[in-house]
Amino acid sequence: MEGQGGSEAPLLPLVAKGDARAMKRCIDQYAPLVWSIVNRRINVQRDAEETCQEIFTEIWQKASKFNSSKSKESTFIGLIARRRSIDWLRKQNRLPPLATLDHLDDHASPQSLAGNAIDRGKLWEMLGKLPSKTLELFSLHFEKGMTHEEISGQTGIPLGTVKTQLRRGLIEARKLLKDFWAETDQEVAT
Amino acid sequence: MSKADSYDTFLELDAGRALGDLSPDELKEWEELAAIHQDEDPTGFDFLVAELEVHNATTTSVPPSLSSLLSETIHEFSNDKEEKKDPAPVSNNISIFPWLGWAAAACLLIFFNPFGQKPPKEIIQELTASEKLETLLDEAPLATQSLAFSPASDLYKEVTGEVIWNDDRQEGYMKLSNLPANDPNQNQYQLWIVDPERDELPVDGGVFDFPSESDVAVIPIRNALPVNKPVAFVITLEQPGGVVRSKQEIVVALAKTS
Repeated sequence: MEGQGGSEAPLLPLVAKGDARAMKRCIDQYAPLVWSIVNRRINVQRDAEETCQEIFTEIWQKASKFNSSKSKESTFIGLIARRRSIDWLRKQNRLPPLATLDHLDDHASPQSLAGNAIDRGKLWEMLGKLPSKTLELFSLHFEKGMTHEEISGQTGIPLGTVKTQLRRGLIEARKLLKDFWAETDQEVAT
Repeated sequence: MSKADSYDTFLELDAGRALGDLSPDELKEWEELAAIHQDEDPTGFDFLVAELEVHNATTTSVPPSLSSLLSETIHEFSNDKEEKKDPAPVSNNISIFPWLGWAAAACLLIFFNPFGQKPPKEIIQELTASEKLETLLDEAPLATQSLAFSPASDLYKEVTGEVIWNDDRQEGYMKLSNLPANDPNQNQYQLWIVDPERDELPVDGGVFDFPSESDVAVIPIRNALPVNKPVAFVITLEQPGGVVRSKQEIVVALAKTS
């Protein structure tokens, strides 16, 4: 999946202008990615398909928030797909939804943690420095789409510990990337 | 709680927000702490988890039913484009993050009705299929091909009509006459598009009914996948809802390039 959508000119700026043909190309290009993300979490076929439709509706409505200096197009679309899928799961558990992307363009950070400022190879080289336990939890959560409860069931790690370790792993991952950029900035400055 | 402790708690909750695992109480606490730690990049964790998700995603083929659903959505986006306005530019002078204070309420609103717009699903179809066909022919006459349907068996020998298709717009219609009315509870007509450059298997062009009172019906093509150089269009009679792969037991009509 690496590099998906990264080599071609982004479609979302055209979608933001209301170009329905660009939206069609966007669906053609990203439907397999969106389906992959949704299908890992939503096990009711009809709900999964309706969620995909809602995701593309949201992409149509929020395409203007895409900033190519901040993220790759596939990451932006993955973010929406992930949020919608998680909201579906939260709804099943009677939890309030978390989906909002309104703040995506409010921050003037020159570099985002997964933006185009760094190529994906470097990004994953950095993340490879994480402890193996963290990488294993990441794999179960992000690759297999497992809930915390499912991870706990499979690994035997208490539920609360799974939650804490995933959160701390994410914090650690972000710190690694921030340190990397701080070093890169210094090198550029000198 | 010291400022350092408060920041650590905020980071942990913010990571939980991005992971989607905040309890209602944690969500409240996150809102309070987010108001204090406004300098923190509010998107860092979001993009990071999305990158992790996308990187680990394994491409799976989209089921035909979803392809059909998305094809319908594309038509609705086309209808919606007149209504779509460029959003107001975001002012760089806004220094506070508007999502902080009202995040929970906004989440609910956005979840049910993003930006206050009607989702395309609910947009009223302003043009009939006939009117859309006329528009297509008016706007792109040269890039639009037309092929005549021929009956495929004696049972359908009265069937006449044509298929009109535009590659660039991925838009097309069938104009059909004398097709026997079907009972949607028993069976439905299904169009197949043959595009050898794409695949040896034909692409689903959508399921449709032919009502008894119709003389001439204009039926939109709902191709489940993009087709670029179709060489034939085939109508079959299938079970209600259509099939993923036709056995072509009942072939109704065929239109093909010479």
